[in-house]
Amino acid sequence: MGITERIMGGENATNSKTVMGLRKETIEGVLWSIPYLAVFTVFLIWPALKGLYMSFHTYPNKFDLTQTEWVGLQNYVELFRDPVFYNAMEGTLLFVAISVPALVILGLIMALGVNRDVAGKRTLRAIYFSPYVLTVAVVTLVWGQMYSQSYGLINYYLGFFIDNPPGWLTSPDLVMAALAFMTVWWLVGFNFVIFLAARQSIPERLYEAARLDGATGWRAFKDITLPQMRNSVVFVVMVQFILQFQVFAQPYVMTQGGPKDTSDTLVYYLYRSAFSQQQFGYGAAMGYVLVAILIIIAIVNFKVIGDSND
Amino acid sequence: MTETTSQSSIRARLNGDTVRNVLLHAFLYGLAVLMAVPYLYTLSRSFQPTELLRDPRPYWIPPLAGEPITLEHYQYLLNNTLVVEWTINTFIIAAGATLLIVVIDSMVAFSLTRLDWPGQGLVMGVILASFMVPYYMNIVPLYQIVSDLGLINSYWGVILPAVASPLGVFLLYQFFKDIPVEYEEAARLDGFTTFQVYTRIILPLAKPILSALALFMFVYNWNAFLWPLLVLSNETAYTLPIGLVNLYQGNIDTPGLHMAVAILGSLPLFIIYLIFQGQIVRAVQMQGATG
Repeated sequence: MGITERIMGGENATNSKTVMGLRKETIEGVLWSIPYLAVFTVFLIWPALKGLYMSFHTYPNKFDLTQTEWVGLQNYVELFRDPVFYNAMEGTLLFVAISVPALVILGLIMALGVNRDVAGKRTLRAIYFSPYVLTVAVVTLVWGQMYSQSYGLINYYLGFFIDNPPGWLTSPDLVMAALAFMTVWWLVGFNFVIFLAARQSIPERLYEAARLDGATGWRAFKDITLPQMRNSVVFVVMVQFILQFQVFAQPYVMTQGGPKDTSDTLVYYLYRSAFSQQQFGYGAAMGYVLVAILIIIAIVNFKVIGDSND
Repeated sequence: MTETTSQSSIRARLNGDTVRNVLLHAFLYGLAVLMAVPYLYTLSRSFQPTELLRDPRPYWIPPLAGEPITLEHYQYLLNNTLVVEWTINTFIIAAGATLLIVVIDSMVAFSLTRLDWPGQGLVMGVILASFMVPYYMNIVPLYQIVSDLGLINSYWGVILPAVASPLGVFLLYQFFKDIPVEYEEAARLDGFTTFQVYTRIILPLAKPILSALALFMFVYNWNAFLWPLLVLSNETAYTLPIGLVNLYQGNIDTPGLHMAVAILGSLPLFIIYLIFQGQIVRAVQMQGATG
């Protein structure tokens, strides 16, 4: 908007001087942009293009990457025949299916709760948001012990209620749920503060008007709160989908994809292909497939939750 | 008769409200306690001797017998590992990236919103579109580029890719474009140069958003994991997150050490969080508001 306004607004009197046929403001505008645009081009745009090139090649000599061999779509074809890829995809989808709804719904509940007439709002907010400032390395170290089967806190207390509590990180059925649960603890604060800000910006008179019409509780939530918070819900769902789809450190540190490859994920597999097995073309192709999947998810998300309330 | 029913219904409603209020507080504070359990657990275990840590029973309050409290894990970390160097590395990388981001992001956002030049719409479009590029898609080619530039195991190899992130540009763009053009016009009439408009008008107005962005970027880059893991393969070059995980993988059987290093690794940021909580939270909320 700003740009079109400025273009429509026309020339500014102070900028009519020209240097070598170029307006002074044009030269200044480019100069002020160059530092960022240089970094942006070399470290973001260039790798994206180079990745496409790499995905159509193989690197027969892993110590000399100037030796390339054109293989066309072979990396992509191989990828779609690769059982490890499908297994990693399954693991990723399972992780996303558990973590994203929990992150969104719990964040929303926390925000709506703190928004009410509660004592100590600031303390609650400080605690709820705090795990977000931890590095994933600390999160995995701490939860690794909490989940431990031999001396973990969780199984010690569960032992009072059930016999033989399961090994959270060693059970193929539970490992992804355990990683997702830990991730919810780590990241829910991000969603919580966004939802809290969105809820606080809803004008109170909407609720007063609704109250006069007898709409309170669930009806007020459904008819006022949710529609008014729709933008932030869409944003949070999208961000979490994209972030959780790229889960890497949790399996890398805690399980190495095990047990029986049940906690393998796409980015972890990409990391292994490219940086342990030195299959750079294959890794680059996987990066592009990842983007394609994320774009599809983004479109589906917008279709499903973006339009539903119009 | 009617009088008493209405009175009792009022009382019932009052009780209902009170009960609901108590339940709400119980839920919210119960959740807060649960969320804080990992902190207390980590802190208390980082001071316990290994024999106690192997006991399945957690000791929230150390038993009186024997030597329940020890500093051995912390002493080991400070004497036998590079945890201090890692902290310094992390600080240099996070602070360097933050400083660069704030300076060059505000410059480009200034140029895109306050100066008028052909092609700026296209440039902003490309920056916006790059949001769609998931970070991890680029790691393979990016690694080759950083390696070709000779930046493996260097601070710049971590800092420069972090500075390429479009997030700061986007947030500042949103803010700068809403600054009324009158301020600037008045200043121009007074003979301000472009540089003066930037430093004396735009930057002071943008101070709150710049400090929020800076704190968020500092936290973000302090915690970054996958990229430093790839670029920093030399133990003396590690950042804290990488050093932590490496130490953990090399000493899998020393729970006290893991807890002590978790404390040391998160302490600097936790202090920053306690002081600047408001700004960090605001930086997150700004992202939500522009989404």
